[in-house]
Formats: sequence, C-alpha cells, structure tokens
Amino acid sequence: MAKKHTEDEHGHRPPAPMVDEISDFEVLEMAVRELAIEKGLFSADDHRRWTEYVHTLGPLPAARLVAKAWVNPAYKKMAVTDGVKASLEVGVDWINDMPTHFGTPSDYCNLRVLEDTPKLKHVVVCTLCSCYPRPILGQSPEWYRTPNYRRRLVRWPRQVLAEFGLQLPPDVEIRVADSNQKTRYIVLPVRPAGTEGWTEEQLAEIVTRDCLIGVAVPKPGVKANAKRPVHPAVHPVHHDH
Amino acid sequence: MNASSKNDTGADSGEHETNLATIPLLETIRRRGRVWRDLASQYGVTNPDPPWKVNLEATCDALSAEACALPLLERRSEEDELSASLYANVPFPERQLLALAHSMIKRGLVDEKELASRMKQVHDRLISA
Amino acid sequence: MSKVQHDRTHHAKKATGKGDPQCFKGEAGPAKFKVGDRVRIRDLPDIFYTRCQVYTRGASATVSAVVYESPAAEDEAWDNTDKPEWFYSLVFRQKDLWPNYPDLFANDTLETELSERWLEKA
Repeated sequence: MAKKHTEDEHGHRPPAPMVDEISDFEVLEMAVRELAIEKGLFSADDHRRWTEYVHTLGPLPAARLVAKAWVNPAYKKMAVTDGVKASLEVGVDWINDMPTHFGTPSDYCNLRVLEDTPKLKHVVVCTLCSCYPRPILGQSPEWYRTPNYRRRLVRWPRQVLAEFGLQLPPDVEIRVADSNQKTRYIVLPVRPAGTEGWTEEQLAEIVTRDCLIGVAVPKPGVKANAKRPVHPAVHPVHHDH
Repeated sequence: MNASSKNDTGADSGEHETNLATIPLLETIRRRGRVWRDLASQYGVTNPDPPWKVNLEATCDALSAEACALPLLERRSEEDELSASLYANVPFPERQLLALAHSMIKRGLVDEKELASRMKQVHDRLISA
Repeated sequence: MSKVQHDRTHHAKKATGKGDPQCFKGEAGPAKFKVGDRVRIRDLPDIFYTRCQVYTRGASATVSAVVYESPAAEDEAWDNTDKPEWFYSLVFRQKDLWPNYPDLFANDTLETELSERWLEKA
C-alpha cells in the first residue's frame, strides 16, 4: 500500500492510487463475516462461492441482450417470449449460474423482457423490497432500493421519471412493472434514431443500466447513467394503517 | 414502531417490528468511522464502491440462502427502517453494513461485546500485516 | 403439512438444476383464467404474510399472461408447497388504482403478478 505514487525512472505508469487507511467499516465487515462463519451461519466456502458469484454480476449481459434484439428480429421474438432462454446467448444461465443452482428468493429464475414501442414505455420497480434481475443486471443501484422510489413510482410514475430527466407526452402509455412475485423484468427500449448501421457492440454501449430499468432511454453518445442524488422526501408518506 | 410502520403500498412485513434502540458499538462506528466517499476523495481513488462491498453482499446472500439465519425480506425491511432513522446520515453502502450488524445483534446472532473484541483483533491483524 | 421431521433441503432437492418457479410446472391443474379475462383482486385476510399489495385490492385488471405455476407466497412463506397455483400477469389502468390519477394520462397502466386465489371474475 504505497503512499506516494510518483513516476519511476523507467517511465512506468504509477500504480493506481489506493486508500492507505483502515476504516472502522472495513473492520466491521470482516468481524461480522468471521463471527458468522464461526457460528455456523454459513461456511467460509459458502461465502467464497457467493463472493465469486457477486463479482461476476453487472449490467453488461442485459445491454448485450437488448443490442442483439435490436439487430436480430428472430432473437427479439425469443427474448420477449422466453427471457431465460434468450439470456443464455449473452452468457447468463439463470438456473445454474447461481451458487444454489435454482435461484434464490431474490433471484427467482423467471426473466421477462418488456418491449417498449413508440407509444408504450415500461419502467420497473419492486414495491415489496427491491427485487431486481440481478443475474443479468448486477446489483441494484441505491436509489432503486429506497422506499422513496418504490412507493412513489407506482403512484406518480410521471413525476418520478421527470426527476430522472425523462418526460414523455401524454399519448405515450407508461406501464409500471411491479416485480413482487417470481418474475424479474428488464426493459427492451426502442432503438434510437441515429444508430443506423451500428454494430451490436456499439449499440450495447448506449444501453445503460438506467435504460434497462426504464428510467432513461438510450441516446447515441450517452454511455453512462446520469448522476442521481438521493433526497429525503419533501412530503413524506404518513402511515395510517 | 408498531404496525403503522407498514409500507404505504406494501403488505409484506405484517407485524414485523424493527428494534430501533441504539447499539453503543455501532453508534461509535457511525460517529467515528470514515466512509468510502471521503476516503476515496482523499486518496484519489476512482472506484465508486469500497472493496469490502462485495464481501458484504456475499454475507447478506449467504445469511439468507444457507442456514437462513437472516432472511432477505426481513433484513431489507429492517435496513429500510434503520436507513430512515438511526443511520439516516450515513451514506450507502456503509449504512447497509451498520443495518446488517444492527439486525444481527438484535437477533442475538452475534453479541455486541463479542463483535467489539473481534473488531479489535481484526484491526490489530490489519495494522501488523 | 404432516411432516414429522422437517426436511430443510426438500426445496433444494426439487429445484436444483430446474429453477424456481420452473420446478413446480405441471402441478397446478387447469388454469381458471385466460389472457384477456377481466378479473378483480380479492381482499383476503393477510394476518401472517402476503405479497399481494394493498394498492391492488378491490381493483379490476385484465389478464395479460398466464405466467407460471408456484405455491402462493402466502403458503410458501411457511414452506407449504403442497398446492401450487397458477400465477397471472395483470394489467391495471392507473386510474383504477388511484382514483385521483390525472385524466390527462388515462392511458397509463401498471402490470404485476398475482396467484389465482387472489382473483375473481370481474
């Protein structure tokens, strides 16, 4: 853990900077994990398998699925009828990739690909906790997990989408998909204009995680999710039941 | 908290109650602990997540999937409540970690004193490495 | 369930290599509803556990897909997997869920899944 990163005399690039400080949180994480293993809540081997699995996750396979569907009509048809089968072609096996080999309550093995049209825009939420198509889209972003997003999206979808910078005319139907049972969803957005003749790889680059959740639409040149600051609710929900 | 803590749109947690009493050890970490956001900016590190985040996620998965010591829905529901109350000012994923430790201590899966002494051991090990 | 000694691995044995909900395929019998049917969500008691959201109860919807067979969440929470049911994907008009949803956006909808026990013919 080098503190100073100056270029050496051979002109080699300096190593990437590292945090040279032990934080209480780093220590807490290790202590919790070690105690859980010692008490038999899971084994060291279980933890290693889950860590390896979590490491492999990310939004890239879902972006590739969308790009492939844009260029290949037969694949698109398969994707919207059998998302689990279509996932295999982008390297995701919903059933056997999981350390359990059958999914878990947070990753049941039923993927549905929701196809947008110029007059229909899908957006995904789990009002129950934060169910998310993790095998193909990786860990959910912080805002997706918040009660704020989960409670408000079903009730005020247009306001919430506007906060993400997505405003749609009234003749476009917004369809919120609430994934509170065993199906997980990703959105297949409309292929944007200006991408004619692009390769699958080029197309996949503009299918960001937010496009796959449905809070953004793909645009040529936009390859990253917009920053999303999390604010406390202005008018918090008051519970009366 | 009573049954009125139920989600507006949800119906999942039934009569489930989150114990929101503070835990001295976790309060100390909350006050004193340096979060990744600050460390990363001080040391010029670009990784948006701390290296331990993946371990934390695997711990949460394993706690639910293996012996089911802490089921996913219960943990998430408690994390939501704790994130809106005790740990509201802690950024993510540090607050997910505090909420997990909180849930485990309140359930008796780990003991606060035991956790404190293990943290000391871990810390000593890390500085001697 | 009448199991004297509870087998904690029975779900793993059944689902490994097949997936959940795929492992319950063929166990629910004939489906009561079909695509296009209008249904209403029943307001059943949920003392212990449910995944039927409050906001859907009493509202009418259209069946958009007959999706899979699985024990209802309300049974599965207690590890009762004896009677899988058909699950349906349902499309609600937002206006039917939230009476004050703006008329300007009358086309807006919400889609979610429920098991057969929650549905009655509308």
